[in-house]
Amino acid sequence: MDPDTQRTTMSTDMSTDTSTDMSNDLQHTTESDENLAPNTYWKSLGELARNKEYEDYEHREFGKEASELGDPVSRKSFLRIMGASIAMAGFAACRRPVQKILPYSRQPEDVTIGIPMHYASVFSHQDAATGILIENNEGRPSKIEGNPDHPASRGKTTLYEQAMILSMYDPDRSRGIRFNGEPSTQDDFVAAAASHFADRSRRVLFVSELSSSPTLLRLKEQALGQFPNARWVNYEPFGEANAFEGAELAFGQRLRTVNHFDRADVIVALDDDFMSPQSHKNALQNARMVTDRRKVMTTDDTMNRLYVVEGTFTSTGSYADSRKKLKASHVAPFTYALAARLFNATNASELRPFAGVNNEFLLDETLEAMVEDLVAAQGSSLVTAGYGQPTEVHAAVAAINAALGNVGTSDAAPVTYHVVDHVDGSESLASFADAIAAVNSGEFDTMVLVGTNPVFNAPSDIDVAGALDKTTVFHLADMVDETSKQATWHVNRAHSLEQWNDARSFTGAHSVVQPQILPLFDGWSEVEFLNTILSGEYTQGYNLVRDTWRSELGVRTDREWNAILHDGLRKETPGAFRAVNPRLTNGFGRAMEQAVGAAGVAGAGAASSTAPASTGSASDMELIIRPDAKLFDGRYANNGWLMELPDPMSKITWDNVALMSMKTAEKLGIPTERHLSDISAPIVKLTVEGRTIEIPAWIQPGHAEDSITVTVGYGREGIGRVADGAGTNTYPLRSTTAQYAAAVQVEVTDRDIEMACTQAQFSLEGRDMVRSTTLSDYKEHPKFATYKSVHGYEVPGIKEMEENGESDGPISLFNETYGPDYEPQWGMAIDLNACFGCGVCTIACQAENNIPVIGKKEVSRRRIMHWIRTDRYFAGDIDNPQVYHQPVPCMHCELAPCEQVCPVAATTHSDDGMNQMTYNRCIGTRYCANNCPFKVRRFNFFNYTDEYLTQGDDPEIVQMAMNPEVTVRFRGVMEKCSYCVQRVNREKITTKRETGSPKPADGTVLTACQQACPADAITFGDLTDNNSVVVQHKRTDRNYQMLEELNVRPRTSYLAMLKNPHPSLYEAPAKKH
Amino acid sequence: MAQIFPKWSNNFPRKLLIGSIVIGNTLVFTVWFFFAPEFLDVGYAPEQPVPFSHQLHAGQLGMDCQYCHTQVYDSKYANVPATQTCMNCHNQIKTESPALEPVRQSWETGEPIEWVRVNYLPDYAYFNHSAHVNVGVGCETCHGRMDQMEVVYQAEPLSMSWCLDCHRAPEKYVRPVEEVTTMGYTAENQLEMGRELVAKHNIHAPQYCQGCHY
Repeated sequence: MDPDTQRTTMSTDMSTDTSTDMSNDLQHTTESDENLAPNTYWKSLGELARNKEYEDYEHREFGKEASELGDPVSRKSFLRIMGASIAMAGFAACRRPVQKILPYSRQPEDVTIGIPMHYASVFSHQDAATGILIENNEGRPSKIEGNPDHPASRGKTTLYEQAMILSMYDPDRSRGIRFNGEPSTQDDFVAAAASHFADRSRRVLFVSELSSSPTLLRLKEQALGQFPNARWVNYEPFGEANAFEGAELAFGQRLRTVNHFDRADVIVALDDDFMSPQSHKNALQNARMVTDRRKVMTTDDTMNRLYVVEGTFTSTGSYADSRKKLKASHVAPFTYALAARLFNATNASELRPFAGVNNEFLLDETLEAMVEDLVAAQGSSLVTAGYGQPTEVHAAVAAINAALGNVGTSDAAPVTYHVVDHVDGSESLASFADAIAAVNSGEFDTMVLVGTNPVFNAPSDIDVAGALDKTTVFHLADMVDETSKQATWHVNRAHSLEQWNDARSFTGAHSVVQPQILPLFDGWSEVEFLNTILSGEYTQGYNLVRDTWRSELGVRTDREWNAILHDGLRKETPGAFRAVNPRLTNGFGRAMEQAVGAAGVAGAGAASSTAPASTGSASDMELIIRPDAKLFDGRYANNGWLMELPDPMSKITWDNVALMSMKTAEKLGIPTERHLSDISAPIVKLTVEGRTIEIPAWIQPGHAEDSITVTVGYGREGIGRVADGAGTNTYPLRSTTAQYAAAVQVEVTDRDIEMACTQAQFSLEGRDMVRSTTLSDYKEHPKFATYKSVHGYEVPGIKEMEENGESDGPISLFNETYGPDYEPQWGMAIDLNACFGCGVCTIACQAENNIPVIGKKEVSRRRIMHWIRTDRYFAGDIDNPQVYHQPVPCMHCELAPCEQVCPVAATTHSDDGMNQMTYNRCIGTRYCANNCPFKVRRFNFFNYTDEYLTQGDDPEIVQMAMNPEVTVRFRGVMEKCSYCVQRVNREKITTKRETGSPKPADGTVLTACQQACPADAITFGDLTDNNSVVVQHKRTDRNYQMLEELNVRPRTSYLAMLKNPHPSLYEAPAKKH
Repeated sequence: MAQIFPKWSNNFPRKLLIGSIVIGNTLVFTVWFFFAPEFLDVGYAPEQPVPFSHQLHAGQLGMDCQYCHTQVYDSKYANVPATQTCMNCHNQIKTESPALEPVRQSWETGEPIEWVRVNYLPDYAYFNHSAHVNVGVGCETCHGRMDQMEVVYQAEPLSMSWCLDCHRAPEKYVRPVEEVTTMGYTAENQLEMGRELVAKHNIHAPQYCQGCHY
C-alpha cells in the first residue's frame, strides 16, 4: 500500500473517547429501530448515526481538499505554469494551426467518411460469448453495443463488453515477443518454436483458458494427436466447475444448467448472484429475463417473486423481494432443509434422501414462505445455486428442480440441461492441480500457456512458479504479466477486436470474431499462436477460422460465410448445445445422505471440501472469496473505466476491501468509529491456513454475521499504470481446499488507509429520493407514489396554480419557456423496478462521452466525473437493510436552477427542451454545480483528459479511443449529462434528410445508457409524441419526480419501485395514504 | 523658490487626455479589425502539394462539385476525393505532367496525398454538410466562387456571427436544391423564393447552442 495514504489515527486515549461517543450514537440508532420505518432511507453508516464528523463532512460542497490543487504540483507552481501557458497561447494563436486532410488513395467500397460503420462480432468472457456490434469510425473502433440479433445479448451489454474498447487501446499492453525477458522478434519465435516442437515425443503440457472456440478446439485435437505425450488442461480461477460436478453427481454427466428465469413465477437463488457478470456467465440474459417479469404498468400486472439467500450483499440480493443473509457455509444445510420440507410437502421421490435432515433451518420463516410459494408454483418455479457453492448443493438443487417439475427440454421448462461439447473434465481444478504436480515431478519438459496467468491467480498450494522453472515455457498474454515474467517465450496477444477467431454463446450459438483494426502491437490470437507451435509456421487467423467453419461447420460458400459475418451468427441455425432430460443416478441418494450427514444434525457446520468445517471459537469467522464485480479474476485490472466505477454495493473505487457486518466488526474489535467518515478504513490482517494479507475493513450493512468477504484481482505490480498499486492481492488466501470459503483469523491493526468511496459523496440529507411499496399495496393504493401520498400534503404552489386558473404545474418565480412546436421535446423515465445497480450505464456513458478517468486521489476529493451515477440507498435496519438503486443523470429541468446562476450563459435551454452545456462559453465559476439540487454537474478541476491522453510513450493510442462526435473537455470547464445530444442531432439530421420531418420516430434515438441497460430500465424519447414509450411510462401511476417540491420540473422522472414479498415476510410500514 | 512644475506641464493634462483617447481608440480599432476572422482568416490560401486548379476543373471544364466531393449529400464531411478519382482522368490526360507527380506516387504507393485544410472550424463546432446542402444551402454561399479560384482560399470568415446571419434569416440565402452546386447563382426575387423554400423544406435553423456545440 502507498505509504502516503497510510496514516496513524488519533492517540489511544482519544480514540477510546471517540469510540465511546460513537458506540453511544450507534446504540441510540439501534434502540430507535422501532421508529425507523422500513421506508427511512440512508446512504451510509455516517448518515444513519448522524455524528458530528459526518455532518462536518457532508456540509461541504466538494471534499475537504477539493478546491486545493494537490500533487503533483503545488498550487503556486501550477499558477506559474498556467500563466506561462496563457502567454504562450497568446502568441501561438496568431498562427493558424495547419491541419492536413488525408484522403484514401483507393476509396474502399461502402465507406462514407463521417458515417461510422457497424460490424458484428462477439465478445468471449471465458467460454460464453455475447454478440456485439462495433462502431467503427474510418477503421477505428470506438464504441461497443449489443447485437440485437444475438441470443446472448439481444442488443444489451454488461460492463465487460462496454469496457473492452479501452482495453484494446491500453498503452500498457505487451508490445512484442520476449525471449527470457529480452525483446525478440516474431521470426525468431517461429524458428524457435519450429525447432523445439519438431520433436514429436516432447512431453508438452498445454494450459489454456476455457474457450468454446471451434477453431481452438480443433487445434487442441490436433495438438493431442501430434504429441502423444501431451496433456491439455484448462484453467480458470472462477468458473462453472462446481455446477458441472454437481450435475455429474446428480445425473452422472457434466451438464450445463440453463435457467430460464422468464418462465418462472418463483425464483430461489441460493448464494447465486446470477444477475452480475462476474458471478454468472449468462448474467446478461438472466438479468433481462428476471426484470422482464417485473415491468408493472397497471394494477392488473403481475410480478415474479425472487428469494435470495446469501452471505455477501450482492446486486441480485438487493433486487430480491426477500433476502435472507446466511454465512456461505450455512447455505448447504439451508438447501438440505429446503429439500426436506419440499419432500414433506410433495412426497417427490427425488427428494427422499433429504428426509432425515434435521437442522435449525427447518422452521426458518423465510424457508417456510419459500416452500409455500415453490409448492404452489410447481413447474413454473426455479431454484438455482451459485458457482461458489459446493458440488453437493448443486446436486441437491438439481433434485429440487426435478421434484418440482421444473426440468424439461420444452420451451416452457424453467430449467434445461445441456451437453456442452467442449466440457470434458479438463476444466476442473483437480486436473489442473494434478498436471502442475506432474510437471513438478518431471513428467513434462514443455509448457504452452494459452492466455492464462496462473502465477498470479492459481491457488497458493499449487506450485506454478516451480513448474515454470522446470520447463520451457511458451506463454501468450495481453500484458507482460506475472506468468510472462517467468516464461521462456512471451508472445503478445491480439485483443479480441484485432483478431479472427470464433466462439459459442452460453447456450451454444456459433459466431465469428472479426477484427476491427490491424493489431496495434502486432499481437497474435490464441489460434495463431497455437497453430504456429503445432505447424512451425505462421498462418493468418482468417485462414484458420475459415478452415474450421468449412470443414467442421459446413459453411462452404462465401455467400453463407459473409451472411454469418454480417449477422454476427448463423441466423437460421445458430447451433445450440443439445438439451437432455437427465435422470438422477442411483448413487445420488447415498451421496446426498452422506452430505447431509456431514453437514451435521444441528446444521451449523460447513458442508464440503470447499468450505472446511470451522473449528474452535477463534476461527468461527468465515472468509468468502469472490471474483470482483469490475476486475473479475484480475484480467480487467488495467482498465481505468472499470477500476474507477464504484462497486455496485460498496461504492468503493480503486480498491478492494474486506466486507463484514457491523456486528461482526464490533465482535472483532474493529473500531467502527474510524469507519463512519467513509473516507478512511482500518487495516486488518486476515490469516488463512498460515497465509496472511493486510486489507482495509469495510462495513457492509446486510452482510452475514461471522463472515468476511474479499474479492480478487487487485494488488498488482508491474502490470500497468492503472492496475499497479490499487488494492490488495487476496489470491494468497486461496487454496485448493479453500477456493470460495475458508476459516479465517482476523487481527486488527492500528493503521488506516484512505479510501475513495463515492457512497457518502453528494449527500442528499434525508430527502425522499426513492419511493417504493409492495405489489399488493400498489394494487390497493395505485397512487402511492404521488407527492401527496408520501408527504401527506400537496406540492407547494399547486393551490396558487389553481387559483390562477393554470394547469401546467406549481407557480414559479421564473418564466417558463417552451420549445417551438416543430421541435421534439426530449424526456427520460427510469424504472427503479428494473434497475439492479450493475453500473453498465455509467461505463456506456463514459465510453460514449469521452469522460476522463481521474484516479483514486481525485475521486476521494469528490471530483468523480461520471455523468450518470447509480445511487444506492439503504432502508430500515442496519443489520438487515433493504437496498435501492437509483441511476441519476442530469434531470434536464425545465426551470433549471443551474441556468439561472450562470454569469456567462454557458448553460441554457435548447429548443428541444434540453439543458445544454456550452463548453466554449464556460469560465468555470461552478455556480451551476452549487445550485444543482441533484448534484449531477461535474467540473474539470484539472486537464484530466489531456493528461490522460498525453502521458506515457504512445499518447496517440489512447486518443484513438475517443468518440469523434463529442468534444474533449478542457481544464476549468463544467460538464454533465447531455442526453447524448450527439446521437439526438445525428438522428434529427438523418430523419430530416430522409423524411423531411424534424422529429425522429420513437425508438430511433437511444441514449448510450439506455442502449446498454440489460434491464431496459431507461426509456428516452419525444414527449410530444403521445405514443412514444417514454410517454407511456410517464403516464403510469408509479411515475414521480425527484425533489418535486423544488418545482424545477425535471424532464427525467422515475417509476417507483415495487417489491413482491411473501405476505408473511412483510410488515407494512405506517403510511399516509 | 523655484517652480516645481515647469511651464510645459500646464498642457500636460490636456495632452494626456487627448493622447489616451487616441491611443485607446486605436487599440480598440486594432483589435476589433485585425483580430477578427474577417481579417485573419479570409483569404487564407496555403500552398497545396498538388497545384490543383478549381478554376480549370470546375470553371473551364464545368465539372460538377459532386464529381469529386461525392459524399457531401450523405455525410457531415464533403470528402476530399481519393487519389483514384484523380486517376480516373489523369491516367490518360497529362500522364507525364510533373505537377501531377505526387498524385501518381500516391496511386502507386497507396500513401495519401497530404492536402492542407483551408476551411477550418474549431473542434467544439460540429458542422454537417448534408444537413445544409439537402435543404438548399449552396456550396458557393460558404465557399465562394470556387470556379474562379486558381488556388483555393477561404472566402468567408466562418465565424459564429457569420453562421448566425443565415441561421436567423435563411430565406436570404437558400436556393432550390438542384441549384446547390451552381456557381454564380442569383435569383430575381430571393426573399420571396427563400420564404417559399423555407416553408417547403421545413427549415428551422437552430439558434440554440447545442445545435452546433456539444
